[in-house]
Amino acid sequence: MNEVTVIIIDAAIKAAVMALVLLTGFAYMTYAERKVIAGIQVRRGPNRIGPLGLLQPAADGVKLFLKEDMMPTGADKLMFNLAPIITSIPALVIMAVIPVAPDWIVNGYTVRFVVADLNVGVLYLLAIGSIAVYGIVLAGWASDSKYSMMGGLRSTAQVISYELAFGLSMVGPMLLAQSMSLRDIVHAQEARGIWFMFLQPIGFLLFFITGLAELNRAPFDMPEAEQELTAGYFTEYSSMRFGMFFMAEYIKMIAVSGMVVTLYMGGYLGPFVNQFPPLGIAYFSAKVFFLLFTMIWIRGTLPRLRYDQLMSFGWKFALPVAMLNVLATAIVLVYVM
Amino acid sequence: MVAPSKPITQDLTERFPGAVSKDTRPGYEGYIVSANKLTEVATAIRDEYGYEYLASVTGVDYIADGKLEVVYHASKMSGGASLNFKVQAPRDGEPEIPSLVGVWQGADFQEREVYDLYGLRFSGHPDLRRILMWEEFEGWPMRKDWKEVYYEQDAKPFKTRWPEGSVYRIEEKNRFNKNVRYPKGFDPRSFKSDGDEKLYALMRGEHLPEHQRINTDEIIVNMGPQHPSTHGVFRVVVKLDGESVVDLKPVMGYLHRNHEKIGERNTWLMNMPYTDRLDYLSGMGNNHGYALAVEKLIGSKVPERAEYLRVLMVELNRIANHLWAIGFLINDLGAFQTPMLYLAKQRELILDIFEATAGSRMMCNYMRFGGVVRDLPSRIRDEDTLDFITDLVAERLPAALDEIETLLTFNEIIRTRSIGVGVLPAKQAINGSAAGPLLRASGVPYDLRRADPYSIYDRLDFKVCTRPNGDVYDRYLVRIDEMRESIKILKQVLRDMPASGAIMDGESKYTHKVPNGESYGRVENPKGELGYYVVSNGAPNPYRYHVRAPSFINLTMLGDLCKGHKVADIVVILGSIDIVLGEVDR
Amino acid sequence: MTVQVALFIALAAVAIVAAIGLLRAKNAVYAALCLVSNFGVVAVLYILLGAPFLAMVQITVYAGAIMVLFVFVIMLLGAEHLEHEDHLLLQGPLGWLLGLGLAGLVTFAAISANLSAPAELPAEVSANFGSPGSIGHLLLTEYVFPFEVISFLLLAAMVGAVVLTLVQREKKARRSLRNPQQS
Repeated sequence: MNEVTVIIIDAAIKAAVMALVLLTGFAYMTYAERKVIAGIQVRRGPNRIGPLGLLQPAADGVKLFLKEDMMPTGADKLMFNLAPIITSIPALVIMAVIPVAPDWIVNGYTVRFVVADLNVGVLYLLAIGSIAVYGIVLAGWASDSKYSMMGGLRSTAQVISYELAFGLSMVGPMLLAQSMSLRDIVHAQEARGIWFMFLQPIGFLLFFITGLAELNRAPFDMPEAEQELTAGYFTEYSSMRFGMFFMAEYIKMIAVSGMVVTLYMGGYLGPFVNQFPPLGIAYFSAKVFFLLFTMIWIRGTLPRLRYDQLMSFGWKFALPVAMLNVLATAIVLVYVM
Repeated sequence: MVAPSKPITQDLTERFPGAVSKDTRPGYEGYIVSANKLTEVATAIRDEYGYEYLASVTGVDYIADGKLEVVYHASKMSGGASLNFKVQAPRDGEPEIPSLVGVWQGADFQEREVYDLYGLRFSGHPDLRRILMWEEFEGWPMRKDWKEVYYEQDAKPFKTRWPEGSVYRIEEKNRFNKNVRYPKGFDPRSFKSDGDEKLYALMRGEHLPEHQRINTDEIIVNMGPQHPSTHGVFRVVVKLDGESVVDLKPVMGYLHRNHEKIGERNTWLMNMPYTDRLDYLSGMGNNHGYALAVEKLIGSKVPERAEYLRVLMVELNRIANHLWAIGFLINDLGAFQTPMLYLAKQRELILDIFEATAGSRMMCNYMRFGGVVRDLPSRIRDEDTLDFITDLVAERLPAALDEIETLLTFNEIIRTRSIGVGVLPAKQAINGSAAGPLLRASGVPYDLRRADPYSIYDRLDFKVCTRPNGDVYDRYLVRIDEMRESIKILKQVLRDMPASGAIMDGESKYTHKVPNGESYGRVENPKGELGYYVVSNGAPNPYRYHVRAPSFINLTMLGDLCKGHKVADIVVILGSIDIVLGEVDR
Repeated sequence: MTVQVALFIALAAVAIVAAIGLLRAKNAVYAALCLVSNFGVVAVLYILLGAPFLAMVQITVYAGAIMVLFVFVIMLLGAEHLEHEDHLLLQGPLGWLLGLGLAGLVTFAAISANLSAPAELPAEVSANFGSPGSIGHLLLTEYVFPFEVISFLLLAAMVGAVVLTLVQREKKARRSLRNPQQS
């Protein structure tokens, strides 16, 4: 076997595993969300299918497959079909650059727990995150429905407004690690012996909040605001096409949590991780679960902002603060340290 | 409130000789105003006599006299009995009387309803369309000579079912044959509705003021009738410029079942359970209002214990309703149902009391003319009844309210979303016949329990809660305050209620002999002034049975409240008005 | 090498098809999407050239920000259906003529220039070629003047945009928070 073949096989296996994990993760995210929110709301949540309702996601999947697939008469057929796909692909590939454990040398072969280690990993996250909005916009436009259209418009405006602050709040860790590679950023946290969330508390909070906005999660779930727009951009979708939007949303939650963990919470770092690298996966997952729980918790407790309030928060608060944070970090790095 | 410049004591008949005369029919009161002087008289009633608030407008079809009559009830904000004046018009031809929308904005929807159901036109009304029926509907359903599909008989009990008891559905014997009459030239196969087109055409002319415009595509969006947050099958047609509301018109009637026509066919007592279905979240209050209206005619004397039981139930019901209203308001603000379920937990306990006492959680059918139907049970949920209620009133509910206050009242998002949104100035609130928390949140201390005390409210110590700003946040706060006042009332009721005693005036009976005459009974329901206007002609069933529904009339101002706000505010403002479609559409 | 050439030809073909689609699409949303795919393909070409930083910036800035704004404006104004009028005399034929002329000229220049790889270039590029660090270094040393000039230009454009939108709203009375009805 030559080197190229090895690389291709290696990447293919890792990509397949990642996709599988994300899809299962999505299924059980829906279950976890329902259970956690039920707990918050003094209810029980799904408990009929399987022990503790654990087979509920499977039942939901079957139900989605069996539902009638409908398309509005005036819809733009090509775009209507394409939109869910455009939405789900970025969601699935965004995790590719995130390392989930340190390198592991087995029998002289180095196993790297990352699908592709880019030296501009941070920019990759930003780039993929920014094109994910097309699926939403197209879904809204192609459905030929006013609710969908408004949902699509809202999400476009929201993503544009929050992308700047989102991107700027990634700069802090980049400056501290002096690299755009996610592996280097994790290593830098190891070298400094402290997670960047403690060195960059403002950046961390901003990144998490703007991440919620990029995800269209509560309290920023404007594009699908149930109370106003019924279901926003996917009002007209049904069956598996609806399922794909649903899937993309939950996978993006996992991806954003992964980004926060890598940039600010030490990624896979934890005790004994260098002695036995697969342990890193456990640490990484635990941190991701914590963030996912926080997101569900926020959804269970907070009301929604209004659209214009969301905009003014993005432009008048998040963006200036993110800029100042970058400036302050740079000054401290150059002149103080 | 604007006090009249000089209080007038002169009688209306002297003030307008020739135009106004006393209503001298036996059992009737008030004045009959001639149609051509109506606007002038109404303005005088509002400005000179101080009746600033038009409580109710309704029609009556006196088919034997060949007359349609419109009955107005106006109230003073300082309290006291309402003033009743009437206008008469001939039934035949195209009857028309002047519209009072220019005098009281609150007449808007009510006049449309009279037009819709009686075919009486109001000249000068800005938007006289059908409101409960659809635009192409043929006929005037509340007129006495209007017969509906499967029509059997004017009044119950129907001969086919009683006394012979042959129970079959009339439609099995009578499938659409004689009762369905199409208008001339109407072909149901080729019919295409253009009722909505009329409505859209009305909205196309509206624009935002120059400085607010963003000049995008202006779109007309239908929110509802199937929509998660219109609280039922309610529809609002909104014209949007970007996200801003340019114009908004409510469309209702999807749940219309002609409650009043059904009521006129039922016997007096048979209506009682039907009233539960009006505002199905506060069935006890609905019962109370109807009982009061009929008791006025019958002249029955409610025993002491029954009065206390009534107030106990009604105030518990008020708390249950407000808990629900606040829960849904927060839900409309986008909270994922958590506050609602917390509040529902307390509401369940109140419903337990209703169930144990009346046999049903929501459709209680608890009150009768002259009393209530059942006494309190001895035990609720394996606890002594009084202990259970006392514990609920003294411990659980205050604790739950404190919890709401800490969690919601100072929540940053709730405050930014609701302060300054949907402001209703006091003047407009009065002029637009707003009622209940909607009126009191605008700073008008008008509560029928104080303004025109009924039952035993004059003995109870409680405060009329108001808030000064009239926005969504204040409506929320007023509801919380009112719950606290209700708890205060409940404590007094539990303290003073006679331990035993009669709960009915005389024996309970199935049929009541109701003397001729009219009566307007009103109570302060959780949603506002709930009034019943009933007319008896001595028959076993009411000649006229009208419900002054607070949810319906409060919607009059929805368009004004929403204009200039954002789409997201529509649902919040609607939620803060607190409507129940069973009552809006009747 | 051959794999790279084949990849290049395939990507170039996609890029050209997308570009033609942009010009010929009757629907502005489709046109915008063609442009986005064109940007995407060009970004992949950058990666092939060993410049991942540029590729990512291309996607983030052009596809992720600018084109999203375009699509937003198209949808907001409801302008997705373009008018099919020729505003100039013979606009269509003239466009074809000039376009083909330009294509011919470029082809002719490319062929006649007799392009070949410069001999003195190293076979392998250095490790940090096109890395964020080296680009940043170049921008702030060698190209600092053009960089600053462009920044200034963009700033002027931004200020201009703000001023243009402000003038329209100058008359707007301040709405009090408590009483939005009285504007």
